[in-house]
Amino acid sequence: MNLSFLSPLFLIGIAAIALPIIAHLITRKSGVTKSFPAVRFLISSQGELAARSRLKDFMLLILRALILVLIVLLFAKPAVFSFSQKIDNSPLSVAIVIDNSFSMGYENNFKLAQNKAQDIVDSLPDGSFALITALIPNNDKEHYLSEDKNLLRKSINEIELSSTFTDNQKRLEDIYSRIQKSPNEKKKVILITDFQKNGWKDEVISTPWLELVNVSKASNISNHAVSDIALNYTNDLTRIQSRISNFSDDSVKELLAITQLDGEEVSEFVDIEPQESSVMEASFTNENKLISGTGYVETTHDNLKIDDIRHFISNYKEESNILIVDGDPREDSRLSETYYLARALETISENSATTINITDNDTVLNEDLSQYDLIYLANIGDITPSFANQLEQFIIDGGTAVIFLGNRVRIGYYNTLFENILPGELLSIIEGDLSLIPSNSLMFSKDIINRTDQISVDKLFQISIHPESRVLIKATDETPFLINKELGKGNVFTFSSSADSAWSNFSITPVFLPVIKMINDLPNIEGNKNRHHFVGEPVKIEIVKDKDSTAVIGPTGKEYVLNIESNEFQNTWLPGIYTVETDGEIAYKFAVNINPKESNLEKISIPSIEKELEVKGKLVKVFKELWRYFVWGVLALFVSEAVCRGIFSKY
Amino acid sequence: MSNEILDIETALRLKGFNFRTSSKVSGYKSGIHKSNYTGISPDFLEHKEYNRGDELKQIDWRLYGRHDRLYVKKFEDEVNMRWCILIDTSASMGYGDKEYNKLEYSKKLSATLAYLLLKQGDSVGLAAFSENNIELIPPKAGSYFITPILDKLETLNPSGSTSLKDPVLKALETYRSDATFVIVSDLLLETDTVEQAIKLIRNSRKEVSLFHVLHPDETEFNFSGSIEFEDLETTEKVIVDTGSVRHTYRERVMEFIEKLKQICHENETRYVLSPTNQTIEKSLIQIADK
Repeated sequence: MNLSFLSPLFLIGIAAIALPIIAHLITRKSGVTKSFPAVRFLISSQGELAARSRLKDFMLLILRALILVLIVLLFAKPAVFSFSQKIDNSPLSVAIVIDNSFSMGYENNFKLAQNKAQDIVDSLPDGSFALITALIPNNDKEHYLSEDKNLLRKSINEIELSSTFTDNQKRLEDIYSRIQKSPNEKKKVILITDFQKNGWKDEVISTPWLELVNVSKASNISNHAVSDIALNYTNDLTRIQSRISNFSDDSVKELLAITQLDGEEVSEFVDIEPQESSVMEASFTNENKLISGTGYVETTHDNLKIDDIRHFISNYKEESNILIVDGDPREDSRLSETYYLARALETISENSATTINITDNDTVLNEDLSQYDLIYLANIGDITPSFANQLEQFIIDGGTAVIFLGNRVRIGYYNTLFENILPGELLSIIEGDLSLIPSNSLMFSKDIINRTDQISVDKLFQISIHPESRVLIKATDETPFLINKELGKGNVFTFSSSADSAWSNFSITPVFLPVIKMINDLPNIEGNKNRHHFVGEPVKIEIVKDKDSTAVIGPTGKEYVLNIESNEFQNTWLPGIYTVETDGEIAYKFAVNINPKESNLEKISIPSIEKELEVKGKLVKVFKELWRYFVWGVLALFVSEAVCRGIFSKY
Repeated sequence: MSNEILDIETALRLKGFNFRTSSKVSGYKSGIHKSNYTGISPDFLEHKEYNRGDELKQIDWRLYGRHDRLYVKKFEDEVNMRWCILIDTSASMGYGDKEYNKLEYSKKLSATLAYLLLKQGDSVGLAAFSENNIELIPPKAGSYFITPILDKLETLNPSGSTSLKDPVLKALETYRSDATFVIVSDLLLETDTVEQAIKLIRNSRKEVSLFHVLHPDETEFNFSGSIEFEDLETTEKVIVDTGSVRHTYRERVMEFIEKLKQICHENETRYVLSPTNQTIEKSLIQIADK
């Protein structure tokens, strides 16, 4: 911003400042001189008043001089100008996109971006339409194309900083499509951004309708962040490991990191080399601890404060016990039926107290199933009535059973002994090259839904589904692949194919892990509940059916009442601890943190930015008149002058 | 000319009044002032009509025989009291209208007082002082002596700065015997200096009366606007917003006057504030007895 005057000739009038000064000097020199005998009394009387009188004269002189200066400046039409892209005077339709990803919270970048947007709005030719929007939409306010500059300015101020990031290119394309219906022929999108790398799939930005405005001055931005937290539980201790990363080219010395759990704190100073991370470990005794505790790891703040804290939930007593029954074990474990299943469960349960037991078909028949929370049956051939009854009771009592079928499964046995457990009647094995589609999207995240087509199934059981069962994933020919059935307080998930890669590639696709994780996250598998989510990630809320209402209280205390039909909570826009309440009582809590990827403030390669900016043509001055402020200034000075005179006249 | 200085009307109105000292004096003859001595001087001065209280032995019976009226003889050193009128002629006394400034007022006051004192038979001397100068006319009695006093007063002009201590010392050298001092001045001095001068006189067992002559401008300060004032004696200058300073100035002047009154009271000295807009009669009557 630079100051300029649209009518600079009026500045000659600034010489008028001499008037009050001359008047001041003249009044100091009295016009009348009188001989007087008692001057010494005058001097002693004057002594007290002289200082006050001089102060009064000086203040009035300054105020009056300022009034004159401001009036002269007012006539000279003061204006600030900034250099902006050359815009021809033909009206256009423009989408002004403010990057509100959390890296914009660095110093005052976000405010700068808002100011820049204001300047662009001010400089739009008459008849132009503009759409103000955030790169990451994170509040309910939807803005539309408008010609009204006041409305546009208001929209700019309504945009809030987000705690996440998005696929920028895709989002910009969506925004561009929104301005297509506008009346003006010329259309473009202006993105005001810090060019932080995350969100850009590749570092080349070459969209003809896109103009870029850079608000970040520094090319090398330093930042440190609490990037990860892992919790481990023993009988006596809860151990919290936090990773603190230094994303700058300078080393960080003696950074204070505090781990807090339920009011107890452990502090440590860490040194981190450039572009490295350091792991800090804090242990807390489990004595007198709540089953579900909350805490955070926080470091000394830097210019980007939002990633200097990370929240967590501890569930140290909720250790879960998982049983995997391998119906087709091999000496080489990699060939075993449950090899991929065991690896997946190990991965999922890394951050929770979980015991995984693997057993074979014979052993499980004499096992006490009630000690487990989750039982996987993978291609088991031998089942007994007592085992079937025990398994049924286990599920009714709230356990979860996951059944993978396979070549050892005998249809008659299963249909008879597992009649109440299976989601339907097993019919026959069918073969073919089938791909899968989700049939009930409510159960799965978008991540799973978008990737189910990667699964190809060669062989699977055809099942006649019972009405109370739900098909979650099915083949393109409608053959069920994954079926869910609720039994008593528990759940049964049945895969119509095998757990290994013999009948399908399911276990080696990226979908396998999230699906198994989804099953593990079910409410009745207490120990493995995932209570940690990223900002913006939908969270499935465990709604208790016989309760009247379920609500989620956000970190700021805002309450969101959940619709029973949709148990997915979307408003995870702020990092912090969220509390789920059922009928006014706290059911459980979960933590929402920012994705640590954004903490790396590395920019996309500068040459590509400069090249982009270079082709946008010459810059022109965009003026913003300031006369309103000067009018207020003059009025304020007049009032001050009157007040000043009033105050001194009392003495 | 002399008639302008002497306020005859006032003098006539005050003719029935006596100007006395409060203590016994060392005169040779009983009169209006009580004498410490009983001796009689042989130097005849004039005859005076007998008044009650005059000694019977001083009646001139021969004259009674011729005129059938009682007269008493008066002798040269039978003067009842000696007075010394000290009149301030410093430049500050020149303040006021040319026709009637503080010095003119002081001259008139001194002339009238001298006349009345001579009339009551006392001897009167005059001392005009400014800075360290003093012009003395030794005291003499007799009505005729008013003429040289008036002539001297006529010649006085305001000049120089005010000084009191040195003139008083010089006067005391001249008036070694009993005398009463009358100081007529604006007293624009430090109060300590005034006190020293009074104490010098009092310590010499002489009485003193103080006529403090001020112009109403000095007490009221009814000026308006911003004025640059130049001191009449020191030529010091000061620019003053008269409106804002008036109240404090008046307070300062009143403090000064009160302080002088206090000094006079402590030293058994009569203090008479004599603003120039006050009649001579009103000023003089304050040291007179009926």
